[in-house]
Order: sequence, then structure tokens, then C-alpha cells
Amino acid sequence: MMRGSSRWRRILVTYPLLFLICFIGLLPFYWMVSCSFKTNDTMFLMPLRWFPDPINWNAYGEAWRAQDFTRYFLNSTFVAVAITLGNLLLGSLAGYSLSKFRYFGRGVLFILILSTMMLPLEVTMVPLFLIIKKLGWPNTYEGLIVPFIVEGFGVFLMRQYLISVPSELIEAARIDGASELRIYWGIVMPLCKPALAALGVFTFREAWDMYIWPLIIVTKDSLRTLPLGISLFMSSFGTAWDQLMAVAAIGTLPMVLLFFFLQRSFIKGIAISGLKD
Amino acid sequence: MVVSGSIQSRSLRNPFRLTISGKRALFAYAIILPTIAIIFIFRFLPMLDAFYISLTEYDLIRPPHFIWLQNFVDLVQDPLFLHSARVSVTYVVLSCVPVWILSLALAVLFNREIRAKNFFRSATFMPVVMPAVVNAVVWTFMYHQDGVVNTILEWFGLDPVPWLRSSKWALWAVILIGIWRATPYYMVIFLAGLQAIPQRYYEAAEIDGAGSWRQFLFITLPLLKPTILLVMVMSVIVAMKVFAVPLIMTGGGPADATRVLPLFIYQTAFEFFKMGRAAAMSVFLFAAVMIFTIFQIRLFSRGEE
Repeated sequence: MMRGSSRWRRILVTYPLLFLICFIGLLPFYWMVSCSFKTNDTMFLMPLRWFPDPINWNAYGEAWRAQDFTRYFLNSTFVAVAITLGNLLLGSLAGYSLSKFRYFGRGVLFILILSTMMLPLEVTMVPLFLIIKKLGWPNTYEGLIVPFIVEGFGVFLMRQYLISVPSELIEAARIDGASELRIYWGIVMPLCKPALAALGVFTFREAWDMYIWPLIIVTKDSLRTLPLGISLFMSSFGTAWDQLMAVAAIGTLPMVLLFFFLQRSFIKGIAISGLKD
Repeated sequence: MVVSGSIQSRSLRNPFRLTISGKRALFAYAIILPTIAIIFIFRFLPMLDAFYISLTEYDLIRPPHFIWLQNFVDLVQDPLFLHSARVSVTYVVLSCVPVWILSLALAVLFNREIRAKNFFRSATFMPVVMPAVVNAVVWTFMYHQDGVVNTILEWFGLDPVPWLRSSKWALWAVILIGIWRATPYYMVIFLAGLQAIPQRYYEAAEIDGAGSWRQFLFITLPLLKPTILLVMVMSVIVAMKVFAVPLIMTGGGPADATRVLPLFIYQTAFEFFKMGRAAAMSVFLFAAVMIFTIFQIRLFSRGEE
């Protein structure tokens, strides 16, 4: 009897709370998409309209034509894919080296790589910019990609994962006479698939999000990434809210798709970022 | 670990094996080399360089001019810098404390039996999915005087707030976004921590008649301590780096109310071209991050005992 009533009380508290949380979490998404279909003169009409009426179908096309968003989108995609592949390859190589081999200086190298996780770009951006300038890399894809092609987190993640992978398979392949590179590509990499998926999604999200670095080294329009394009659009067309929401929605779409199709890896990457022991 | 150890001890006994393990070590060095090179050139070199540049006056046109500690002397007397540091500390404290409480509460909520859990959890997680720049743009729109945030305040009979146009409210606007976006991220980490707690502890407590609140206080909190401490440190470091949202929403204004340290560093370096001064500020930021890093390493070593 007592049990039953407290159970009901729990349900009556929990579900309204859950709906409130979802409302807060989803409101900016809903508002962004619905307002991208509003006309500018109904945008701030009081009381606010929760559904676009009349529907404005033009914002996406107009915004896309106002600036070279196709180019920005492709730039963002290229840079994020390159950074992700780099992290998967170099991170797994370094993680393999640190977990399955013994050599002089291994511990020191691991700590050096690990320590970069605590070194925010905001601290090093001034000298890093000067180095990139010396290399002649401002306004190049190299400048956008190479400094981030491997991160401490990726190496750490791969090392932790590989430690839990039994070494017998690797030993057996060695006895069969397989070369070290073949063992890495043919045995270690397939074993790492779950870790690689988590790292890949995590890195892609971070790379897609990158703002401060492109802002510093890119001045040419043809190299702008999507975040730069969106913030530029905001400063030059600040009152065309329908178009601004349209480009914002398109900038979010790849992340939403990534989340829905690779939800498990998406969440796992984040969960692992909090398991540094 | 054990297996590779036995390889080495075997190799010491047999000279032929030694060359094999020497080859293996060479391979191990070779595959870690690209990572070390990248990290050295693009992380450590800039770090060391930052210390040097912080001792110079440098405007990118004339060569750097060595001025000893003048930048630091100027900085500690510069009211703008001190103000910016204060804004950063305010942002970190006021955004992180609610994030800790909310993310833990949400994790506990989602660790229970809930119908349609996947739907609710995904919806809650969505703020993490939104890119930072989009976040700034959409919230700028929502914070508009006649925007949706003020409309919701009106439902509760509250007066509209001039969010981004008032120096009193602008930092709060930025803080709320920080909380909105960070909470689900740390919720995921807490959930992973919660799921690692063996269910039998709760079953035993249930038999002893302990209610859910007591279970939380005497089982969940103590067993979750490492995760809690880690989230605290992580969230502080992330909050210290906030940049895109204040830059896009307010540009640091109104009246410098949202000029957090990374934003001030960026503007000093790339709008006013005072590289030396910006590097000196970076050194301050680095010191702050280091304090938390050392704090974190101490937490780790305590955890290993």
C-alpha cells in the first residue's frame, strides 16, 4: 500500500521533470529550425508564434547565395575528415607502441603526450600562430589540419584500449612470420574497431566545432570553414534572422546525423574522456 | 604488460632474440615518432616560445624587442586585465557549480528505470551536439529583447531582461549557455561512473530499508568520488577556455562585462597586435591551468594508493 503510493508519486514527479528537461534541451533546436521558416516581419511579433505562419521557404536559398556556403561546407568537411583520419592513424600507432612494446623512454613519452591534454590552445595560440607564419601556412589547409592531426586524447584512448586486448594474437602472428606493419594493420586495427569508432566520432565533433584557430589563420574567403562563415554572416547580415537560422541549422545538421547514426560511439567517446585512470 | 616483460627477459638470455627485440623496439620508436614530432613542434615549442615572447615587445612588423618582465609589470597594473581575469573567474565559478549539481542529478535520474529512456536521454544530450558557433548565434537570437527567453519569463510573470545589452545581465546570459551545453556532457561521464557501481550494494541497502536519499548519500556519492573530482577539474579547465560564445554574442561587451581571458588574449594579439603582452597573459592562463593539472595529478596518485 505504502509502496504503491510512493511509486505513483515518483512517476508523477519524474515524467513532468523529464519533459521539462527535454524542453530546455531541445528548445534552441526547435527555435532555430522553426524560425528559419518564418518571415522576418513575423519574427518578433508579439505574442511569439510557435509555428511559422506564413511559411517562408526562401531563407535557405537566399543565405546560401549570399555567401559561398558550399565552399565553407566543403572546407569544414575536408578539414574535419583529415583531422579525424590523422588522429585515428597516428593515435592508434602511438597507442600500439605505448601499450604492446617495451623500450627505453616509453614512460616519459607517454607522460609527455598525456601532458598536452592539459595544454589549451588558448595558451599557445600566439606562438603557434608565429610558427605557422614562419612555415608559410596561414591561409592553407596544412595550417588548419597539421597542428591537430594527432592529440593526446587519441593516443591515450588507444593505449588504454589496447592494454585490455590480449597479446596472444599478436604473438601468434609473429611466430607465423608476419611483419610488424602487417600485424598492426591486419590484427591490431580490426581489434580496435570500437575504440576507433568512439575516437573518430569524438574527434570529428571537435574538429567540426573548431573556431578560434581558423579565425586566427584564415583571412581568405576560399579557406573559410563553416563556423567562420556563420559568424561572418552574423556580423554582416545581423538582422536577416531567417537566413541566419537557416545557415545555423545547416551547420548543425551533420552533427545531428552523426549523433543519430553513431549514437553509441558518440556517447562512448565522451564517457571515455572522463575515465582517465 | 606481463607478456612483453617476458619477451625482454628471454631476449637477455639469447643474443639472437636480442636483435629481434631490438628490431621490435625500432619499430615501436618508428610508429610513435610522427606523434612525438607533431606534439613537439605544435605543442611544446609554442609553449616554450610563449615564455620567450612574453618577455618581448612584438607587433609582427618590427623584430621582437626584449624588455624583461615589463609585460608582467604592466599587466598586474592594468585594470582591463584584472577585470578580465575577474570575469573569467566569475564565469568559471558560476557556470561550473550548477553544472556539477545538475549533471549529477540528471545522471542519477537516467540511471533509474524509466520508460522511453532512450528518447529522453537523447533529447537531454542534444545540447552537446550543437556546434559552439551555432550555439552562440541561436542564443543571441533567443536572448533578443522580444525573443523567446523573455517570452518564457513572461509566462511566469517576470519582466523582460535586456540580456545582451546590459552589462549587468550579459555575463549571466553567457553563463546560462555554458550550463546548458556542458551539463549533458558531464551527465554522460557521471552515467558511466554510476553504471560501474555494483548493483548489489543497492540491493543490500534496500534490504536494510535504506531509502533512495540515504542510498545516494552513503553508496552513490562515496563510490562516485573519483568521477566527481575528475568532472570538477575537467569542467573548470573547459570553462577557462570559453571563447566563441562571448566573442560572437557580445564581442566582450557591453562595458567589458563578458571579456573573458581567452577573448582578451585573442583581441590583444590579433586586433591590437601586441604579441608580447598577449603571450604574458597566456602565461597567466597557463599558470591557472597548471594549478588545476597538478591538483588533478594529485587526485590520480591518491586514487592509485
